[in-house]
Amino acid sequence: MTIRKLTFLTATLLGASALPALAHYPFCTCEAHGADVICTGGFSDGTSAEGVKLDVISYEEDVLIPAKFDASSKYSFQKPEGEFYILFDAGPGHIVEVDWQDVEGIEQ
Amino acid sequence: MSAGVQRGEARTRLGRWWQDWRFHLSALAVLVPLAALPRYYSDISLFTGDAGLGSGEAKHVQVGPFDLQIAEFWLTAPIDMGVAGARKQFSVSLCQGCEHRIRAIHARFGKPRSLRAAGALFSGSHVRQTADLQVPPSVDSSDNLWLTVEEWDGTVHHGDIAVDQVSPATAAWLARKEKQQ
Repeated sequence: MTIRKLTFLTATLLGASALPALAHYPFCTCEAHGADVICTGGFSDGTSAEGVKLDVISYEEDVLIPAKFDASSKYSFQKPEGEFYILFDAGPGHIVEVDWQDVEGIEQ
Repeated sequence: MSAGVQRGEARTRLGRWWQDWRFHLSALAVLVPLAALPRYYSDISLFTGDAGLGSGEAKHVQVGPFDLQIAEFWLTAPIDMGVAGARKQFSVSLCQGCEHRIRAIHARFGKPRSLRAAGALFSGSHVRQTADLQVPPSVDSSDNLWLTVEEWDGTVHHGDIAVDQVSPATAAWLARKEKQQ
């Protein structure tokens, strides 16, 4: 491989590797599977949400299910009765709130 | 062999023209970025704060005893960031002397349910703090943009402003979304 080709290849790889560092937004998406709700969390740069707090909270502000994301960055729970929201809490300002009506496939 | 640029062995007229003039294409590499300079300097003045709080007009929001100013950073509708949802950036400026009392400012679309769920956290100096907000799917055009101020003594205040006042592009985007549903 010539020096020119090697330089071009190195520059391309360096450029591509810089792209994922552009953003670090938290995300949390939830889907209903029968009586269960499965939430997937993480950060937009690919960081896992393992150990990040996830609380299922009623509209009356009672924490119904206190939990944490598992090693696969997911958490599954049985859909509670009544209205609720799911709070992905990675610290002040790093939260995502998923209202029960925004859970994909949930019966409303 | 003489020194200098080798002319090649092109036989056609077009081929000879290309050999003679291809060098001058390198001048384009200098000229093309010049066209992007006005936008570049405009963006830089926005990032440094020289162009004001944001691209949009700053609006006053009364949050408890504090008179804050808020502006949208870009005059655009929320940007789809894939799995992180639609996002919109805002800047706030604190009232004079308020920086000694204010610990944190949060913002979210729709009324916050609690301090934990108060939304994105603003960061930066007291004259210009920015935050990147997610626009949740269930938000509609009747929801306001809510600011939550937490004081150092733990006191919490809420204040809101209509979305179409602070970001007409976001209000139009929400209205379009509602029509499609």
